[in-house]
Amino acid sequence: MKTTLLIAVDSIRALLHQRLLLGLMLIALAMIAIFSVVLIGQRKFVTQVVIDESVANAPASENSEGKADADAHAGAAKTKSPASERHLSKEDQQKLAEQMDQMASMFQAAFYQMASFGGSLVSLFIFSTAVATEIRKGTIRITLTKPVSRNQYLLGKYLGGIAVMAGYALIASAAIMLFARFARLELSPAMKFAPWLMFCRQLMLGSLAMLLSLYIHPFLASVLAFFAGNGLYSKYNPLFYILPSYSGFNVFRQMLQGSLVSGKDVLLLSLYALDFIIVMMLLAWWRFRTKELV
Amino acid sequence: MTAIRIENLSKTYRDGWRRTAVAALRNLSLEVKEGEIFGFLGPNGAGKTTTIHLLLDLLRPTSGSAHIFDQPAGDAMVRRRLGYLPESVNLPDYHSGRSLLEFYAALNGMPRPTRAGRIDELLKLLKLDEAAARRVTKFSKGMLQRLGFAQALLHEPDLIVLDEPTSSLDPVGRKEFRDILLELKRQGKTVFISSHILSEVESVCDRVAILSKGELVRIGTLQELSAPKSVKLIVRSVREALLEALAATTAEISLARGEATIKCPDDATRATVEKLLTEHQVGIERTEVETQSLEDIFFSAIASKKEP
Repeated sequence: MKTTLLIAVDSIRALLHQRLLLGLMLIALAMIAIFSVVLIGQRKFVTQVVIDESVANAPASENSEGKADADAHAGAAKTKSPASERHLSKEDQQKLAEQMDQMASMFQAAFYQMASFGGSLVSLFIFSTAVATEIRKGTIRITLTKPVSRNQYLLGKYLGGIAVMAGYALIASAAIMLFARFARLELSPAMKFAPWLMFCRQLMLGSLAMLLSLYIHPFLASVLAFFAGNGLYSKYNPLFYILPSYSGFNVFRQMLQGSLVSGKDVLLLSLYALDFIIVMMLLAWWRFRTKELV
Repeated sequence: MTAIRIENLSKTYRDGWRRTAVAALRNLSLEVKEGEIFGFLGPNGAGKTTTIHLLLDLLRPTSGSAHIFDQPAGDAMVRRRLGYLPESVNLPDYHSGRSLLEFYAALNGMPRPTRAGRIDELLKLLKLDEAAARRVTKFSKGMLQRLGFAQALLHEPDLIVLDEPTSSLDPVGRKEFRDILLELKRQGKTVFISSHILSEVESVCDRVAILSKGELVRIGTLQELSAPKSVKLIVRSVREALLEALAATTAEISLARGEATIKCPDDATRATVEKLLTEHQVGIERTEVETQSLEDIFFSAIASKKEP
C-alpha cells in the first residue's frame, strides 16, 4: 500500500506541474471572477428595472408628497440598490425576489454546467495521460524496475487522479458557494449533491479514458470516452445498454428549476458509478499486466 | 547462485499494418554468475536492448524464460536487488535531481534516516552535488546519464544492469565510470553491461557474450575467446637450404639485423617449421605469441554470423 501511495503522491506532483492543467484551473478562477462581476451588475440592473416600473406605475393622483417619495426611491436606487429595495411595496419586493431567485438558479446552473464541463476536460486529460504518457516518454521504465508491481503502479496513478479530481470538485463547489454568498443568492437545493455527482461522472469518464489510453493515443481515448455516453441512442438500440449513462449525473435541469435531487437517486447513481469504475479498472488492469512498455 | 539465468529466450515483434513478424531474439541462453562483470556486445539491432527489456519484464517473451537471482524476471520483490540504467535516460521532468533520488529511494524501500546520506554520497561521487536542486529539465545529457547511474546505484543493489552507460559521457566521465565499475567489482557486485565501446568492456569485464542478429555467437572469458592469432619464431643464422624449405610452408619469413622472423599462422605450420629447424640444427632464439584483441574477436564473431 505504501508503494501505491508513493506512486499516487508522485502522480499528483506530476499533475500539479502540468501547465495545461494549471491553465484550466486559472481559467476556472477567472470565470468565477467574471461571473461574479456580471451577476452583481445584472442584479443592480434588475433592481433598477423593478424600481423604475414601480415608480412609473405609481398612481398619478398621488399628491406631491407621494411623487417626492417616488423620486427619492429612484434617487436612492441609483446610489444604493439594496437600500432602495426596502422602500418598494410588498408586491414589488416579491416580484424582485422572484426575479432574483430565477436569476440565482440560472446563474448557479450555468456555473455548475461550466464547472462540470471543465472538470470533465481536466479528468479526461489527467486519466488518459497518466500511464500512456509515461510509457511514451519512457519514464515508466525506471519506475517499474523498482520493487513496484504493475498493479501498484496502475492503482497509484488512478488514486493520484482521484485526489486531483476530488480537489477540483472541492474547489469548484467552494467557488459556487462563495459566488452565491458574494452575490447574496440563495443556494439551489440541488447544490447539496451536485458536486458529488459531478465528481462521480468525472471519475467514470476518467476510468474509461484510462482504459482506452492503454490501447490508443490518449487524445483519441479522451474523445472516445467523452462521446461514449448512451445519451445519443434510443432505448431500442443495444448500445444504450452497453455504453455508460452520464445523463443522470448532470443536475443542470434540477438546478435551473430549483428542485431537489433525492437521496435515493444519489445513492443509486453512486453505486452505478462505482460499479462502472471497478469494471473499467479491472479491464485496465487486465490490459496493463501484459502490455509491452517499450 | 546465478545472478542472471536466461533460457531459450526468444522475442518476435509484429511490425507495420501487415503485422510482419520480426525476430529480435532467437533462443538466447546464458548465465551470469554472482560477482562478475559481464559484457554484452553486439552491433546495432543485434537484440541487446531487447534482451535487457525482457530481463526487466518491460517486454514479454515470445518463448523462453529469464530469472534474476533464481526468481522469475517479473517478480517485483527481486527488483530490490536490481539497479538499472537505460540507454536513453528519460526521467520525470517535474523533479529536481535530489527529489527524484528521494522518490526512487522511497520506492526501493530505503529507510528514511539512511536516504539523505546515501543521496549526498552519490551526488558527490557523480559530481552532481551542485546541480542537485535544479530541475531535471535543466540537466545536460551527460548529467542525466550520471543521475540515471546514481538512481541505479542508490539502494546498493547486488545486480546492476547498464545499457550503453557511457554513450553521453566525455572521456573524463568514462574514466570515472570505469573506476566506479572496478569499485563495484571489488565490492562483489554483479554488473551486466551492454556497450558499443569495446575498449571499455575489455578493460573491466570478466566474461563477454557477443550477439548478432538476435543470436548468441560467442560467450566466454577474453582468454577463452581469443585464439592465438599467430606465433613468431625468431632464429639466427638461416642458411639458403632452410629458407628454401620454409618457403614451401605457409609461414611468412622476414629477415632483419641478422635475425629471421618466421610467422606461423596456425599450429600445423608451427609444427612443420619447428621440425625443419630441428632438421637444419637451428635453435629458436625466442617465441612471440600474437593474441586477438576484443575488437578482433568481435569482428570475427560478427563475420562468422554473416557467412551462410
